[in-house]
Amino acid sequence: MKFLGLVLKSARRSKRRTALTVLSVAIAVFLFASLRAVLDGFNAGVEGSSSTRIVTQRSTSLFFEMPISHGEAIKSTAGVQDVTWANWFGGVYKDPQNFFAQYAIEPESYLRMYPELLLSPDEKRAFLEDRTGCIVGDGLARNYGFKIGDKITLQVGIPNYGTRDFDFTVRGIYKSGGAPVDNQSMFFHWKYADERSTQKGLAGWYIAVIANPDQAAQVAAAIDRKFANSPFETKTDTERAFQSSFVGMFGNINLLLGSIALAVVITTLFVAGNTMAMSVRERTMEIAVMRTLGFQSATIFLLIAGEGLLMALGGGIVGALLAWLLVNPRVFPTGGFIPEISVNTTNVAIGIGLSAVIGIVAGLIPATMASRLKIVDALRRVA
Amino acid sequence: MALIELRDVSKSYHRDALDVPVLESVSIAVPEGDFLGLMGPSGSGKSTLLNLLAGIDRPSRGSIRIGDTDITRLSERALATWRARTIGFIFQFYNLIPVLTAFENVELPLLLTSLTKKQRRDHVVTALNIVGLTDRGQHYPRQLSGGQEQRVAIARAIVTDPTVLLADEPTGDLDAKSANEVLTLLQRLNQEFKKTIVLVTHDPHAAERTRRVLHLEKGTLVEQAVS
Repeated sequence: MKFLGLVLKSARRSKRRTALTVLSVAIAVFLFASLRAVLDGFNAGVEGSSSTRIVTQRSTSLFFEMPISHGEAIKSTAGVQDVTWANWFGGVYKDPQNFFAQYAIEPESYLRMYPELLLSPDEKRAFLEDRTGCIVGDGLARNYGFKIGDKITLQVGIPNYGTRDFDFTVRGIYKSGGAPVDNQSMFFHWKYADERSTQKGLAGWYIAVIANPDQAAQVAAAIDRKFANSPFETKTDTERAFQSSFVGMFGNINLLLGSIALAVVITTLFVAGNTMAMSVRERTMEIAVMRTLGFQSATIFLLIAGEGLLMALGGGIVGALLAWLLVNPRVFPTGGFIPEISVNTTNVAIGIGLSAVIGIVAGLIPATMASRLKIVDALRRVA
Repeated sequence: MALIELRDVSKSYHRDALDVPVLESVSIAVPEGDFLGLMGPSGSGKSTLLNLLAGIDRPSRGSIRIGDTDITRLSERALATWRARTIGFIFQFYNLIPVLTAFENVELPLLLTSLTKKQRRDHVVTALNIVGLTDRGQHYPRQLSGGQEQRVAIARAIVTDPTVLLADEPTGDLDAKSANEVLTLLQRLNQEFKKTIVLVTHDPHAAERTRRVLHLEKGTLVEQAVS
């Protein structure tokens, strides 16, 4: 501890350089923690998927719809216990920038099959009884100030739903009880959307509950066989695979974001290492003097490495805390189209840990240089 | 028995596949409490001899005994510990750490001891008092004159109460007045505090303040004078 003051004083030798080094590490850790949060968000939907739910969509694309009659056919498939469906609505709330996901659902079966959608019994009843009622996630309600009883008007975003605005009454504010359900979305009655649709009786995707998760592949194949060679061929997957394919629509997120994070960290490592090496070269005389006074090589090594570690940790803490404060659904609502992005304590801890690794690795060569300095050569060079 | 004893010490440096001799068969005995001046032209080997005594360089041949320790037999690690306890080194260009205050510069060698913070403070105050800079403790080197910087450097050298003080041209970068103050201080350390001092200098006035002077030329001792 008695050397801590010495390390701190040395780090403050060139305040601008130290500040820039701390800032570079802070930015690297901020990006790293944020990118991890994005990956976590995407993966959470996949990880938290139900093993008993399978999803059927058009074989061509999620953007094409299927007849509502598919529902009964799916329900009659061996191994299927329950079926529901949903449509993407794509409406606009006041301004196109106010983006959030809106789903037209078959309310009774959907709420039955998604216990992760947490509503009080009163809210649930009110929602089911009101054809123009809707429920919104508590995150969405917080962002837009929605309260129960509020009227919400959505402009039509997809031409299928005509040209007239849709009016809704908020009947419930749900909480998310698991990863497959976010708290930034709005759900309303499929019938309300369908009755004003130019192409009636279409569903975007079906969700089925199966009795035995081990038979998911067989049940999915049986469903798809039913619609083979029809104008509306299907592709059925487990909810996990469906979530993965949804994430896959954005490309190989893991590789892309992982590569960016790695590039940022390696660049920062070089920047920090070079800065510290420069700092050590400038201090050749001082290090030689300290060695003359009796400082051991190992002590010099630890002082220099400690300085690097301290700077990097400082940057790491700043970057991680900034990420924690800024990267959350309140500041960056994703509107439910992509999963919620939130830097959690694990991201913060990993970010700070990463900064420590940057500090140690970046300081290794300069610290070794300093500890191996030949006193006489260094004094002669400076004199 | 002499406090410092060099026996047949030679030192040569390797330059471009050539051995360049700097010291050749130098033998010196310095009794405890002596104030020895080492004079000689540039390149005569004075500073090399001082570096060997400080244990920051090693002889090519011969032995160096200080007190009971033959320092040529010590490992690098043991030498560092020995230096911290035994040697106070005063550089020509003061070599204070610019980001530390005068107080912190003087305290630096004490960080290697097991003294408490309060004990370290007491030692530093005593050392600064001896060099007459108690009121400059919180000043940074850039806020001090050359003479004051060198006095801080002397305080740093004596704060651990070392057995031997080694001074490498301590007045070489000072004006006459400051040089005189520094030499007076070194004389006081020798006479009042009984410190054994080896002083390397070009300056005959500085050499006059020592008890005796040895002359080096081309790496060998050429004469011995008593002042």
